[in-house]
Amino acid sequence: MTPLQWFLSLSHSPLGHLMQTLKWGFALVETVHLIALAVLGGSVLLIDLRLLGVVLRRESATDIRRDLSKLLLGSLVLMILSGIVMLSEEAMKCYYSPAFRWKMILLAAAVLFYFTFHRRALMRTGTGSPTLWSRATAVVSLTLWLGVGVAGRAIGLI
Amino acid sequence: MPILQHLCQMLYDSHLGTAIRESDYAFPLIESIHVLGITLLVGTIALLDLRMLGLILKNIPVTRISRAVFPLAWSGFAVMFVSGFLLFWAEAAKNYSNPAFRIKSLLLLLVGLNPLIFHTTIYRRVHEWEVQAASPWRARAAAIASLALWNCIIVSGRLIAYF
Repeated sequence: MTPLQWFLSLSHSPLGHLMQTLKWGFALVETVHLIALAVLGGSVLLIDLRLLGVVLRRESATDIRRDLSKLLLGSLVLMILSGIVMLSEEAMKCYYSPAFRWKMILLAAAVLFYFTFHRRALMRTGTGSPTLWSRATAVVSLTLWLGVGVAGRAIGLI
Repeated sequence: MPILQHLCQMLYDSHLGTAIRESDYAFPLIESIHVLGITLLVGTIALLDLRMLGLILKNIPVTRISRAVFPLAWSGFAVMFVSGFLLFWAEAAKNYSNPAFRIKSLLLLLVGLNPLIFHTTIYRRVHEWEVQAASPWRARAAAIASLALWNCIIVSGRLIAYF
């Protein structure tokens, strides 16, 4: 199935029809998206500020990661699910939207980065102070996630 | 006309209010900052609340986490207050009669009262309980109130556009 076919079938699916007819559907699902965004953003902020050595310097980065990664991934899953539900209401508009495409690219990059370089940097930091490497990792991470947010906001505007 | 409504109408008709409202860029830009600022204000506070509920970062004393969170939350508050006030200014007359906005305003008052009570009472003795995994019931009550109020604020904020 090509991406175009996937988007088309989503917009014609029962979920799509439901979202397209409900008056309050989109707004309510979007609030779930926003609440999950708060938790995701808070987790990313705290983890990356630790990598930068700005907060919780005496605590182990691996300890912080252990708990906050659960929160991060949980809220991320919630955002993806609510995102798909919102997508079903306007799938084709998003398919052709440059903002949406950028958001998906940045999201994939952010998640990939999170499971690779970011993870490595946190494991290496341990209880130590930040290195150039960990600081760079944090900056990349914050930039990518901010990019996802900005692109997402742009979907409704561009 | 009631004085508050008159005030809102004045803000709405003013140069600044009209400029923001009619600009192609100003309102969406300020609104974007307001939406993304949620992570800075609510996201960080939520982590402190979850800590006091004993759900995350149990090995870290509460005061270490609050020391990390408070500067971020205050920065977030500044961002949200300024952007929110400008958004309000631009739509003041409409907001006056908007039920979602009225509810949000009331909830914002409550979510400000909650930490005021918290900080002047149970948090004064935080050194007695900061290392406990789950904090005393008064702190947990404040945490639950905080989480519930912020969730409702986000929902009511989103619904403003629908009334």
